[in-house]
Order: sequence, then C-alpha cells, then structure tokens
Amino acid sequence: MCNDILINFFEDGLFAAIAAIGFSSISNTPHHAYLTCAIIAAAGHSLRYALTLPELGSFHIIPASTVASFAIGLLAVLLSSRIKCPAEVCFFPALLPMIPGMYAYRTIEALLSCLYNTQEEVFGHYFYLLTYNGLTCAFIILGMVIGATIPVFLFKKISFTVTR
Amino acid sequence: MKTSMSCNVTHVRHIAAFLAEYASLLAGCGATCIRTEKNTRRLADAFGVGFDLSIMPAHVYVSVWDEDPSDSRIAVRKITNHGISFNINAKLSRLSWEVADNHIDFATTVDRFTAICKTKPTCKWEVLILTSLANASFCRLFGGDVISMLIVFISTLAGYRLKQVMLEDKRDVRLTFLCASFFSAALSAGGHIFDIGATPEIAVSTSVLYLIPGVPYINAVSDMIDRHYLCAFSRFFDAAILTVCLSAGLCAGLLILGLKWF
Repeated sequence: MCNDILINFFEDGLFAAIAAIGFSSISNTPHHAYLTCAIIAAAGHSLRYALTLPELGSFHIIPASTVASFAIGLLAVLLSSRIKCPAEVCFFPALLPMIPGMYAYRTIEALLSCLYNTQEEVFGHYFYLLTYNGLTCAFIILGMVIGATIPVFLFKKISFTVTR
Repeated sequence: MKTSMSCNVTHVRHIAAFLAEYASLLAGCGATCIRTEKNTRRLADAFGVGFDLSIMPAHVYVSVWDEDPSDSRIAVRKITNHGISFNINAKLSRLSWEVADNHIDFATTVDRFTAICKTKPTCKWEVLILTSLANASFCRLFGGDVISMLIVFISTLAGYRLKQVMLEDKRDVRLTFLCASFFSAALSAGGHIFDIGATPEIAVSTSVLYLIPGVPYINAVSDMIDRHYLCAFSRFFDAAILTVCLSAGLCAGLLILGLKWF
C-alpha cells in the first residue's frame, strides 16, 4: 500500500512536470526556465496529492489546492533568481496542472442537463450538481491564484530583484 | 541658454516616449501592473527624470519632467497586443536593472529595447507538440487511461493547430477559441461514440483545457491585491469571455454529436 502511494506520488509529479513544460511553451517562456517550471509543478501537484490522501491529513481539495499553490509561489520566488526570470514565469505553468478541469466539465454537463430536464425533481438534482461543482471549481481556482500570488507580495524585495 | 533648454525639453520628450513604449510592451506581454510600474520607474530613476505612470486596461499614460513637475511631457501608448511572452517580460526586466546598475546611456538603452522587440516567439511546431503532450498529461492527472491520453493528444494537436492557423489569419480571438474548442471536443467525443477506452468522459473534459486563459486570471488577482482594480476587472472579464467561448464550443460539440449522457 505504501508502495502504491509512492508510485502514485511520483506519477503525479511526473505528469504535472510534463504538463508544466507544455504550458510554459504556450507562454513563450525562456527555454532555460522549463526545468525549473517542471520541478515546481511536480512538487506542488505531488504535495496536493499527498494532502488529500486519507493517510496524510485527508484535506478537502480546496484547502489542499491553496496550500500547494502557496508552496508553488514560494518555490517560484526562491528559484526564480537562479534562472534570472520573474517569479510569475515559473508559477503560472506550475499552477495549470492543478486546474479543476473535471469540476468545470461537470458544471457544464449539469447546466446542459438542467436545460434538457423540465421535471422539478430531476431539474433540482442537476441544479444541485451545477452549483456544487461550479462553486467547488470557482473556490479551487480562487484559492490557487491567491495562494500562489501571496508569496510574490510577501517577499517583494526578492520577487522584484530576481532579474538583476 | 535657450538652446540648452530646448535640448533638454527634447530629451525629456524622447524619454517619455521611450518609457511609454517600454511600459506598453511590458504590459502587453503579460506583466502585472506592479511589475510594469516598478520596472518603468527604475528606468526613469536611472535617466534622472521625475516620472509618473497610469496604467489603464488598454493604454498607458506616462508623465515625465526634468525639474518642475508642472512642466511635464506626457506620452500615451496603446498597450501592445503582443500575446503572452514571458521571454520578453524577463528580457525587459533585465534591461531595466542593467540600465539602473550599469548606467547605460539612453541611446544604447533604446537600441537594446529595439532588439528585445524583435524577439522571436517559441517555434510553433515545438509549442504544438509540447501543448498536446501537456494536455495528454492533464488527462492522466484527472484519471484518464492510456487510450484517453492518446485521444486527448490527437484532439489537442488538431485544435491547437486550428487556433494557430486562425490567429495567423488575424481572426477574432473569441471566434478562434470557440472553433478550436468545438473541434477538440468533437474529436475527443469519438472515444465515447465508438466506445474506445475506459474513461471517454475524461478525454472529452480535458480536451479543451489547453485553451484556458490562465495568465490573465492570475494577473487579475495580482492586480487586485495591488489595488489596480480597473486593470484587474478588465483582465478578469477578458479571461471570463474567453472561458465562455471555449465552454460554448465544448457544449456545441457535445450537443451536435448527441452524447448519450445528456
């Protein structure tokens, strides 16, 4: 069981790293920053995975995402001076693999199901799914963005002198 | 005396124009308001002039003066619609520190800035492949199997290529997002229609995630924390409209193909 957790932990980190490199390329990130983005993404995503495990705290996905994003922001501020790039360059591609895509998708699915079902009980069920998934998705994104941005403002002096 | 004063006025005017160009490019390539403000002020301090900057959602206003703030020169520039480029962002930040620390003269600074403006974007084929791999990895992170990853890879490859072609043709960015999302969703729905793989719904849901405008959302929060509410609001709504477009494309794809869970 411990082995399974470890394998999932590293698998999570590996795929988050690949995703971060891909999204770095979309934003025209300098090539020498790819590896740092990948490391930060792997660390952040694996941390979120660990926090949501029943054996390691069983956090709800919203606080887990916020804590992991804060770690991503912190790592980005600390490592950005190594590659002489602003912290945003590192934390944006690292944050993207944590986007709650399934919640967003289920929100749209529930919205369409609401429109297709006029019976009160069925409509009520899909409306519940719509609000539950929509609110979870919105709060995960809000927690992620605030969590990652706070270190930039906490360590303003480091954040704005890394390209010096 | 008069010639020296007019020389000075011309110089201040040139500095104002340059700082406006600099701030416009920096804001246009995806820098936050606080970074744009700090970098531009650093340059103005290095040139030894008084300076104020106002960043609006679509324009930057720069006011520069020599000794008397009431005798300032103002330059207004539309924010360059450059697309997100962290490469240019990093180079412009570095330039501001080089000018501040090494006391580089104005003419050399302008030359370096012109060279940065010519920075080429990442090779489009490299972006296409890496983005497709990234989206396939997304699929795995959301619990998709290998078949779903392959479906997402192909649908992202096709959708992202469509996005590149439409943007090269100068099509409206909202229409581009809608079409690319529709295309990717329709292709990835193939897994569900032909019953390929064990997680076709994950393939459909992750196939459009490469279109999510993450940088404007993050920048909106950063601007909000720094109390640049107008820019924050504008960035948020720009991103929200693109998200609505990609959702509409996804819904249209699913409805037209009549997927059975609806």
